[in-house]
Amino acid sequence: MVKKGTVQAIVQYITAILLIFLLTWHLVIRVPWLRGVETFKDTLSPNLVYHEINAYGVLLLVFAYAALLHGFNGLRGILLEWTSGKYKNLITIVIVILIVVFGALATYTVIGTPNPNP
Amino acid sequence: MAEEKSKVIDNRPGWIASINPWVLRVVNNPERVAFVLHRVTGILMALIIMAHIFVTGTPAHTGWEAWVEEINKAQGFSLVTLYFFFFAGIAWFHGLNGIRLLLVEFFGVCIGKPEKPKPPYIAPSLKACQRKLLYLVFLLWPILWAITGYIVFFK
Amino acid sequence: MTFDPQAATRTPPKKVIFRIKRYDPEKDKTWWEEYEVETYRGMTVLDALLKIKEEIDHTIVMRYSCRMGVCGSCGMVINGMPRLACQTQISEVASEAKPVIELEPLKNYPVIKDLLTDFTKFFNKHRSVKPYLIRKNKEEVEKGDAEFLMTPEEHKELYEYTLCIACGLCYSACPVAASDERFLGPQALAYVWRYVSDPRDEAWKERLEAVDVEEGPWSCHYAASCSAVCPKMVDPGAAIQRLRSVLIKYKLGLFKKKTAKKAVIPKEQVKPKKPLPPESKLVEGVDIEALDKAPVEIPVEELIS
Repeated sequence: MVKKGTVQAIVQYITAILLIFLLTWHLVIRVPWLRGVETFKDTLSPNLVYHEINAYGVLLLVFAYAALLHGFNGLRGILLEWTSGKYKNLITIVIVILIVVFGALATYTVIGTPNPNP
Repeated sequence: MAEEKSKVIDNRPGWIASINPWVLRVVNNPERVAFVLHRVTGILMALIIMAHIFVTGTPAHTGWEAWVEEINKAQGFSLVTLYFFFFAGIAWFHGLNGIRLLLVEFFGVCIGKPEKPKPPYIAPSLKACQRKLLYLVFLLWPILWAITGYIVFFK
Repeated sequence: MTFDPQAATRTPPKKVIFRIKRYDPEKDKTWWEEYEVETYRGMTVLDALLKIKEEIDHTIVMRYSCRMGVCGSCGMVINGMPRLACQTQISEVASEAKPVIELEPLKNYPVIKDLLTDFTKFFNKHRSVKPYLIRKNKEEVEKGDAEFLMTPEEHKELYEYTLCIACGLCYSACPVAASDERFLGPQALAYVWRYVSDPRDEAWKERLEAVDVEEGPWSCHYAASCSAVCPKMVDPGAAIQRLRSVLIKYKLGLFKKKTAKKAVIPKEQVKPKKPLPPESKLVEGVDIEALDKAPVEIPVEELIS
C-alpha cells in the first residue's frame, strides 16, 4: 500500500517539474519584443490576453492546477510543521477547500472569458 | 510524599527558524539562507496565486472594461507594475532554487559521494555541485529580477 | 564541521569573557552570567568551563565525559553554532578583537538546567529506527559466530554514516526540528540510510516502509545545517536526500537492493580449544567447564548498596 508521505512528495515534485516549464513560459510571454508589441502594458491588452486564453486554455488550466496543488500542498506541509501536526484535519480541510475554490475560479476564467471583439 | 514535577524549558525556536536563517550562526551553510528564502517565497507565492487567479478572472466576472482600466495603470511605478515586479522576483528565486532542490531531493544527485573524513572535514554534500548550483541561483536571481524590472517599469 | 588548523593552533586571547545562558528550574529563571577566564594555548571550551566550575562558580551545570570528541556529551551552542565543547579550541571562537564566547544550551532540546539538555526524545527517535543489523535468520546475529561479508567499495559507501556518535548537534541545528517535534531528525534518518545502504542488512523494505511518513524524510527541506555542524563529517543531509530518492524509486517499483550475502563462519573459530597444561592447578571449588558454559555474574547492585 502506498502511504501518504510518498504520494504527497511525488505530487509535489511532479508539479514542480511541470511548473518550471509552465512558469517560465508564463513569465516569458510578458516580454514585449517576443510578442511583437512595444511595451509591457501592451502584452496585457485584451486581444493578446484573450488569444492566450483561447489558444492555450488547457495549458493555462494545467498551470493553475499544478500551481494550486504545489503551492497549497507546500503550505499545508509548512503549517503542519509549525503546529507539530496538532490541527492536521482542520488544515487539510481548509487547504482542500482552497484548492477546489480557486481551481473552480481558474476554470471559470478559461471557459467564461468573453471575446473582446465579438 | 507528592513528587515535585521538574521544570524544563522548551528550547525550540519554533516557526521563526523558517524565516530567520540566523537563529543559529552556522558557518559554511548558505543552504540555510536558501531554505529560508525558498520557504518565504513559497508562502508568498501561495498567497499571491489566490490574488492572481482572482484578478485574472476579471474579464470573465465583470467584462473587459474593468480589466482595461486596471491595465492602463501598468506603466511606470504603479501598484500594478510593482505587483508584477515582486511576483516575478519571488517566482524567479523559487523556480531557480526549485531546480536545485529537485536535483538534490527528487533525483538524489549533486550531493557528492560518501568519503572518508579528512581535513578540513567538510561534508561531501557541502562541496558537491549543489553548492555551485546554489551560487548560480544567487547570481542569476538578481540578474533576472533586474531584467524583469526593466521590462515592467521602463518598457 | 569545517576545521581550520591555523585558527585551532594559534594562541588565544589571554583573558576571555564567557557569557553563559543559565537556567534555574527551581526558580524558573533564565539569565546570562559572565565569567572571566585566563586561557592558555590549546585550551578548549570544555577546559574553560571546567575551570569556571572548579574555581569560580560550582553551581554551573553541563554534561561531559570523554573530553576528546568521542562520547558526544558536551554539545552546546558556542557563539551561535552547535559544537562539541571538547573539540572547540578557544582560539577558534574568540579573538583579540572580540574576546567573548557565548554559550547556550543546545536548541531544539528541553533544557534541564544551565547547559544541560534532555536527550530522552532524541534517543527515543534513534531507537525507533532500529539502529542495528537485522537478518532474516535471527540466529545468525544472536549466535555471533559468523561474519557478514562486504566488499571495500560497499564499506566505503556507508563508512561515513557509521561514524555518528549521536551527539545531537545535527538535530539542534535543524530548522525543521525547531518547530516540528514529530520530525525524526537528521540523526535517526541518517541511521535509516546507513542500514538501508548496508549490504548485510535484510530489513531494508521494513525500514523504508517505516519512514515513509510525513515526519520522516519528507519533512526535510535540505537546509543542510546538520551536515555543516556535524563534528564527525557524517553528512546526514546527503543521507536523507539519498533515502528520499530511494524511497521514491522503491514506491515506483524501480528500486531493488542486492540480496544480502550469506553469513560465513570464520575459520579461526573452528579451531578446537586448547586444554590446560597438566601442571596447572585450579583454585579449589572452581569448575572450569561450568564457567565456560555460564560466566560468573557479579552482583554489582548488591555490592554498591
